[in-house]
Amino acid sequence: MESLSATSTAGVLLDLSGVLILLLAFACLASKLFNRYVVYYGAQSVVLSFAAATAAVAFHSAELWILAVLTLAVKGIAIPVTARRLLVTRLALKRDAAMSTGLSTSLIAGGALTAFAYLVIRPALLPHGTVAAAVVPLSTAVILLGSLSMVVRRHTVAQLIGWLIVENGVFLGAITLVATFLFIVEAGIFLDIVAGVLIMVVFVSGLTRQLAEASAGELRELRG
Amino acid sequence: MTALAVLVALSPLAGSAAALAGARARRAAVAAAAGAAVALGCSLALLVMLDGRAPLFGWDGFLYVDSLGGFFLMTVAGVTLLAAVGSIGYIAAQEDSGELGRFQVRLYFTFFGLFASLMLAALETGNLGLLFVLVEASTLASAALVGLEGRARSLEAAWKYVIISSLGVTIALAGTLFLFYSGSALHLGSNLGLTWPYLLAHAGALAPQSLRLAFLLAVVGYGTKVGLAPMHTWLPDAHAEAPSPASAMLSAALLNVGMYAIIRFLAITQARLGHTYPRAVLLFFGFASIVIGALFMVRRGNFKRLFAYSSVEQMGIIAVALGFGGTLGLYGALLQMLNHAIAKAVLFLSSGDVALRYKTREAGEVSGLLAAVPVTGGVLLLASFAVLGSPPFGLFLSELTIVRAGFAGGSPVFPLLLLALLGLAFVPFARTTAGMVMGNPPPLASPYRDRAAVAVTAAPWILGLAVLLVLGLWIPAGLDTVLRNSIAVIG
Repeated sequence: MESLSATSTAGVLLDLSGVLILLLAFACLASKLFNRYVVYYGAQSVVLSFAAATAAVAFHSAELWILAVLTLAVKGIAIPVTARRLLVTRLALKRDAAMSTGLSTSLIAGGALTAFAYLVIRPALLPHGTVAAAVVPLSTAVILLGSLSMVVRRHTVAQLIGWLIVENGVFLGAITLVATFLFIVEAGIFLDIVAGVLIMVVFVSGLTRQLAEASAGELRELRG
Repeated sequence: MTALAVLVALSPLAGSAAALAGARARRAAVAAAAGAAVALGCSLALLVMLDGRAPLFGWDGFLYVDSLGGFFLMTVAGVTLLAAVGSIGYIAAQEDSGELGRFQVRLYFTFFGLFASLMLAALETGNLGLLFVLVEASTLASAALVGLEGRARSLEAAWKYVIISSLGVTIALAGTLFLFYSGSALHLGSNLGLTWPYLLAHAGALAPQSLRLAFLLAVVGYGTKVGLAPMHTWLPDAHAEAPSPASAMLSAALLNVGMYAIIRFLAITQARLGHTYPRAVLLFFGFASIVIGALFMVRRGNFKRLFAYSSVEQMGIIAVALGFGGTLGLYGALLQMLNHAIAKAVLFLSSGDVALRYKTREAGEVSGLLAAVPVTGGVLLLASFAVLGSPPFGLFLSELTIVRAGFAGGSPVFPLLLLALLGLAFVPFARTTAGMVMGNPPPLASPYRDRAAVAVTAAPWILGLAVLLVLGLWIPAGLDTVLRNSIAVIG
């Protein structure tokens, strides 16, 4: 498959989106207020949707348009709005203080993980001058930052959004690495469904309501 | 053959259909067992037909069954049958005592069938993208089983399981994408290009650097489902909180499906990069799992957690065997998977009976099993020794094969380390189960409705132990052929 060069318009736009997505992943990691955490995640998904649209134009791919629209609709709008309404409005949960490390520690760890991502994705892996060589280290960093959010946050919904950040990282990498594969669109649709099911499970069922109220940090009966 | 393959994946849904139609626990469980029996029969027929013939390949590679896939189909279908028969007594007793409501019983059988069906379908696809989709879908289906009892503990376990496994499988997706990217030179435009047989046949054209990364990500990702340390943390909770037949499905079927995905990636990686790199990766995760599994078995507590940590250890042994490689190593790994699946199914099913009778899952509160319920006590004791690799059971033979493969591979350090760790694991495990079996029993009431229910409950344990005994004494010629054909598939 042809790969985009880093200097083409689409390449520059993808690169820029990648940087924004990474910055927003850091913003998520650093936000203590639930409200902002959700908004930053939504903004990240909107940027990802823009990146998918850019790739769709560059590769003349109708399928990637589907991915772009779905990302915007599900991850950019539906998930953040639902999460906000249920958590902030209905459960009156404003602060997500339940972090297992301090804010500064997790930010330093995030910085270290970003450096690690650049070390792992050495130039030998990806050909120089392609946009993938610039964006894949970014997407790897986003995957690691999302995992870090899942680790340091104790609230179940915050962990779920951490997983969705990981997913954004995977798809950012996918649209620069293997954009012409129909499969990534199918995988994207499937994972949207999974995310939808999980959110439903967390919110809708009466039993898991307790789970959403009690932060997962208090759920510690199972150890060892 | 295509019809047979489709029937294998669809027949476990019989239990789901019965549950959705409103059947009570006994009827739904019988339907599930019948479906599983059909799946087992069809997978055996498939194995016979595949011998000496080209693999089944259809629908652009979305359907692909070779001997390796057939072997795993047989294992998973067999475990499903044991667990479904085990559900007849267990779930019905819980329904009778009111521990599970009608809705929960319905939920259980619906997702039990769906879970089995998704796992079997995952073993029948050659498309690596669809493999990821089916494995992730099976996570969701089985999470419903883990959280079934609805207490805070089971909900926590289900949540942990879903979120950690989903993260793992997403990492496996990244690995799959890197694998596809490594094939850039092949112009993998069509669905055909994303299938395992195509990638294996063209392994020489894959880019080595991204293939290395792809393999590592796949081992970490699918290894999360296998329960390889340090990604195993969901496993003890999920196994302890699920109803016992569902624990048997998790430990004996799901973990093998994860390992199957790793074997597929291993074959492609070995074909391109040789043996050194995958060996290092698998030995690292394998030994880490054995050490973690053995160390955590020391803590005495919930006996289902003990069995779960034993699963972590066993999966470590299998990963080490795959790392040793060669015909002997692969033979040992596959045989170990079959033996472990049967032994763990028997252990979890019989532990379900213990939990029903003693109304506890704490090993310290159980005593005198052999005096109170001789059959359960005897089975639990024998199955424990089988899992620990004592002769004359099957695991002794397969672990011996694995150690031999290690010595054949050169350095004696790793096989000796493996032997030492197996010895280390023996002590805490045997101490706990021996404590449960010996001593004086408290007064107990039978949780079952009649003697027939007791017999049906005990049937899968006895059957499983008998198979383990046979496999420990002699490998039937048919099984030997299947194992050799499977090894020929992965090279």
